[in-house]
Amino acid sequence: MIKPLPLRKQSLLNLHLWNSGIILGSVLLCSVMMLLRLPAMVLSGIGPNWLLVWVVTWSVKRTTLQGTMAGICLGLIQDGLTASQPTHTMGLALVGLLTGRLNTKRFLQEDFISIALIVFAMALMVEATAAIQFGLGGTHRLEDVWLHFRQTALSSAILSSFWAPVVYFPLNRWWERYHRLLGIE
Amino acid sequence: MFFLYRWWERYRLGLILTVLCLGGAWAFSRSQGVGVLEIFRFVSSPVHSDVTKQKRLVDAQTWQLQQQIADLESRNQTLQKLLDQDSIKNKQAIAAAILGRSADNWWQQLTLNKGQTDGIEVDAVVFAPGGLVGRVTTVSQQTSRVLLISDPTTRIGVSVTRSRHLGIFQGQSSTEAVITFFEKDPDVKVGDTIVTSPLSRLFPPGLLIGRVKSLKLEQNYNPQVIVELSVPIGQLEWVSVYLHDQTSPPEKTVSSQSASVE
Repeated sequence: MIKPLPLRKQSLLNLHLWNSGIILGSVLLCSVMMLLRLPAMVLSGIGPNWLLVWVVTWSVKRTTLQGTMAGICLGLIQDGLTASQPTHTMGLALVGLLTGRLNTKRFLQEDFISIALIVFAMALMVEATAAIQFGLGGTHRLEDVWLHFRQTALSSAILSSFWAPVVYFPLNRWWERYHRLLGIE
Repeated sequence: MFFLYRWWERYRLGLILTVLCLGGAWAFSRSQGVGVLEIFRFVSSPVHSDVTKQKRLVDAQTWQLQQQIADLESRNQTLQKLLDQDSIKNKQAIAAAILGRSADNWWQQLTLNKGQTDGIEVDAVVFAPGGLVGRVTTVSQQTSRVLLISDPTTRIGVSVTRSRHLGIFQGQSSTEAVITFFEKDPDVKVGDTIVTSPLSRLFPPGLLIGRVKSLKLEQNYNPQVIVELSVPIGQLEWVSVYLHDQTSPPEKTVSSQSASVE
């Protein structure tokens, strides 16, 4: 347990600065990690979807609107890192929306197993959204898209859920502490 | 009015922050991720020193082979000058280390640590020991992004070296790809070498692509073959990029072809 610290006026600004720094820094780190393929993080040439894990971590204790906005932002960032046609905002915004909703209904507890399960399901959904977009886009043949979806969706989901705690644990710890310092539960 | 004022008082910060985040992310996506790539290059630059060391070791043999090629090319050029064909270009290339790979599972891309300042342009041809790798799609100051030939959106005109039959190459997001032929009964066998066609507008002619692995000639519409790519793209650590446009203008190629037919 972290004891609530006595909070003075000038330290409030500091706290907000730290929070925004951590948010921006973690997003930057996740975007860079998307480009890397480290030996333990690859399954048949596919790495974990770090931006998806970030969106789930962000949305799991926030409202649907906040989740959707984060999804759109990170989707735009991923567009910048790959190609913007078709867009990644759709899948990640859906992830933010659905994870935000899960929270309000209290289907699941917030521990590593349930976070991993959420990430697994959301990764499958992101891949499915991308597959539908590519299928409707006309640049790829439908059977190729279906084949690629079957090859990649499962390994992406497994890897993302396996590595999800790496992002979830520190960020969740920080936000719990941040909210306790601000007096919000 | 008071209600609106209260609402604004309460949600002001959230609203402004949301607009800022969305605006920032949009600008980022418009700029093709240039900022993050530059930061990434800066952070990972100490890690890439061993790559240059390895490159130096390979350089000795490469240099010897390059000298032989240069010698052969200069002789070839004199012969072609005798035949009144002066389409030979300056084949200058630079080596670049691979910083990263594609940031999702649907695009087959690479990020390199050389960019505009080193003279790389959009559409520059990228190759590695073994043959063709891809084409540059975006460049920033010191990084560039390459679309690989294994990407499903890549379509290249190719030819079989043995029989000169022409076909269309298409990536399959793996180490194999498909070639569709125009003729009903093309002369192609397992083990045949596939190179870029002399009619290709995007790639220089004669760059090695791969080897024929299996035949699917009983296809209904057009005969197809499966090709194994000659470059192990998944294991590459550095590639070479042509600094100057290597493609020959189509009209020139066609005229020289028709001239040879005549």
